[in-house]
Amino acid sequence: MNSPLSFADAGLPEQPQVLLVDDDEVNLLMTALALRDRGFRISEAASGERALELLVDWAPDIIVLDAIMPGGLDGFDTCRAIRTMAGFENVPVLMLTGLDDDASISRAYQAGATDFFVKATQWSLLAGRLHYLLRASRTRIELERSTAKLARAQDLARMGSFDWRRAEGGLVISPEGLRVFGFGPHDVVSLRALLRMVPREERRALLRLLHEVLRHSSVLATDVPIDLFDGRQRIIHVEAEPEFNEHGHSAGYTGIVQDVTDRRIAEDKIRHLANFDALTGLPNRRQLIWRAERALEHARRLQHQFALLLIDLDRFKIINDTLGHSAGDELLMEVARRLRGCVRHSDQVMEGALEAAGSRSHRTLEAVGRLGGDEFVALLPEVGEDGDAERVAQRILEVMREPIFVSGQECFVTASVGVAIFPRDGGTVADLMRNSDVAMYSVKAQGRNSSAIYGPQLAGRGREKLELETALHKAIERNELVLHYQPKIDVRSARMVGAEALMRWNRGGRLVPPGEFIPLAEETGLIVPLSEWALREAARQAKIWQTSFGFADSIAVNLPSHLFSRSDLIEHIHQCVTSFNVPHRVIMLEITETNLMKDLQDVIPALHRLNEIGVEIAIDDFGTGYSSLAYLTTLPISELKIDRSFVRDLGITPQSSAVVTAIIALARSLGLRVIAEGVETLRQMEVLHRLGCGAMQGFLFSRPIAPEDLERWLEQTVLPRKAPWIGQASELDFGTDAARAAGGRLYN
Amino acid sequence: MTAQPTRPAAVAQLDAQALARLRELDPDGRHGVVVRVMNTFESSSLRLLGELKLARDRDDTVAIGGIAHTLKSSSASVGALALSARCAEVEHAVRDGQIADLATQVENLLAEGEQALVAVRAMLRS
Repeated sequence: MNSPLSFADAGLPEQPQVLLVDDDEVNLLMTALALRDRGFRISEAASGERALELLVDWAPDIIVLDAIMPGGLDGFDTCRAIRTMAGFENVPVLMLTGLDDDASISRAYQAGATDFFVKATQWSLLAGRLHYLLRASRTRIELERSTAKLARAQDLARMGSFDWRRAEGGLVISPEGLRVFGFGPHDVVSLRALLRMVPREERRALLRLLHEVLRHSSVLATDVPIDLFDGRQRIIHVEAEPEFNEHGHSAGYTGIVQDVTDRRIAEDKIRHLANFDALTGLPNRRQLIWRAERALEHARRLQHQFALLLIDLDRFKIINDTLGHSAGDELLMEVARRLRGCVRHSDQVMEGALEAAGSRSHRTLEAVGRLGGDEFVALLPEVGEDGDAERVAQRILEVMREPIFVSGQECFVTASVGVAIFPRDGGTVADLMRNSDVAMYSVKAQGRNSSAIYGPQLAGRGREKLELETALHKAIERNELVLHYQPKIDVRSARMVGAEALMRWNRGGRLVPPGEFIPLAEETGLIVPLSEWALREAARQAKIWQTSFGFADSIAVNLPSHLFSRSDLIEHIHQCVTSFNVPHRVIMLEITETNLMKDLQDVIPALHRLNEIGVEIAIDDFGTGYSSLAYLTTLPISELKIDRSFVRDLGITPQSSAVVTAIIALARSLGLRVIAEGVETLRQMEVLHRLGCGAMQGFLFSRPIAPEDLERWLEQTVLPRKAPWIGQASELDFGTDAARAAGGRLYN
Repeated sequence: MTAQPTRPAAVAQLDAQALARLRELDPDGRHGVVVRVMNTFESSSLRLLGELKLARDRDDTVAIGGIAHTLKSSSASVGALALSARCAEVEHAVRDGQIADLATQVENLLAEGEQALVAVRAMLRS
């Protein structure tokens, strides 16, 4: 006990500050010396008055007061005065009394002293007592802090504690607990009063539970609805454990109460989010499948049919892409609202409640739900015959006919509906879903806006197309698209005079030919971003070639006619060429004759504007459509491309050379260039040349190839004049020596 | 109990045990504790003895008791045990209200106080 270190508890001041008050100067000096020697910092005061002065601006850890100080404030008065000072309510005060002074001891406590100590010269005992008091004071402060913290935490958690004693029959609730029930901290509340706050219906069940718990001395854990006096309804979680006396008998319960209303609301909300689509409020996939499973069980047990209708909006992606996602969302909400009206929709999540509702309960499963995207499902839990499901499908198509207003625009939306019926079209929900999907795709394939019931003949179609479509969607962002180029040749000079760009899709290492994805792209509207990408890529390639070998002609890009009617086409082309710093004329657009004639009125203004900025137009597959020659004379076009079918038959059927001759004559008289496509043999080349067509493209010269291969082809085939068609062409060229003049020049 | 004027011992001795305890406060004497305590005692007891005479002259019993109490413990501390005993005598007499012999007891206390001062001064000189 000699070393202050033995008291060096964590959190205690290393050198406790002591205010020592004694009117006996000798004693004051000696006590101070002794305590300093034991690690205390001592401030001395020779009177109570002096002590109070010191405390005005200083707070010691402990105060030691001589009790009897004649001639002024004695220890008792001083102690009383200290206790009234703010901040000194709990500072430990040790009162020094005489050995024979019993009266002072009790007076000391009355005056608010923490402890007393009989004056003696055994200094170690005094030091030990001071350490003890300091530690007790610290413990008390910590206890007070932790009690306050607990109360605050319980308050925040809307939680409180209680004790219930069997014997005294008493319920004691903490102030925090009282607050949970809406009472003030000093209210006295009986168990009976609390039970009266439970709504009558629940009260009986709660009382049963309480009796049961008491009988077995088991743990209580339950949620209790409560009507507070202010009218609010709360849910209180009660959790309590039995306490046993020394004989092992249950003496009572101790536990907590907590207001869990918010948590319950959140749980309900979570349950709703898990089962309902956030956008439309309709049952989601999970909920639909759960309902379908229940419907299937019912149908199996009661031997009836039920139907799944898969509803997919037609061309929803186009709406989303053109009007934006928020407009798309608006549209989906309106569609959801309309679809709901087509069935006896019930919103309820019925887990558990279903069995109790009797044999017709499956009727409440009927609903429209949203699987995701623009896919909806109607679940008809009981249908008599196919006609029942078809009638609902017709109703669905019917409600879509009214235009939908989104973003201030009138949109017309149609849907394709596929129907699968249990048990004929599938024995499980998964089978029914898949087969309704197959049926839906068959509708899409046949032009949409209709419905179909699944049949085995439909199986196997549709799904791959969907996958293809999904993959194509991502092809641009994944950089899977490439342009291949087929050179356009002037056979007289044996040089390249341009190239046609043809799109290829590098899908997982396999080059997908355009025939396999362009029709789908046109069908889904993806052709727009695809074409825009192609224009940009062609401009980029023109720049590369310009740098690499002085390319100064044009690259022809195929566009569907409806792209010509888009107002932003010109701007897009402008951006493409300016961002690569090439002239507008490096881009040439090809439109098929059939397409052009179909949308002629929509296309003409664009053709004029394109022409004005220097973008030339070629008419592709010329001769296969039904051109209005009257229009042809007025259209701002630059080139006619003779369709490959005529070229193929050249030298075989006389009719084909007649058509070719006519086209060439027409072009000449209209001042248009003419070029032959699909030239594969020297013979075809020779005939075309003889008929007056010197520009050609085809396998004879080169297949469509990657841009770097095209450069190599120029270097290794055209430049050294090694290809068979070069010699041939030169020999044909009686009139001019253009080819020789061009010499070995790769390119002008 | 009847108080007799007692003759103080010719040379008052300070109690060896008390002095030893004092020295314990400063075992190697570095801080001059004994001297400081003795000096403090000399000045405070001089003052207290003076105050006691004034209190006696005006018959202030309460003040007499208080001074005796204070001087009792400080004299015990320096080993002036005879003085401390006289102080206790006076203090108890006042506290218990048995003041018949108080005048004699106070004179004894004052005389013993002078002796204690002599002893303390002798000690300070040595």
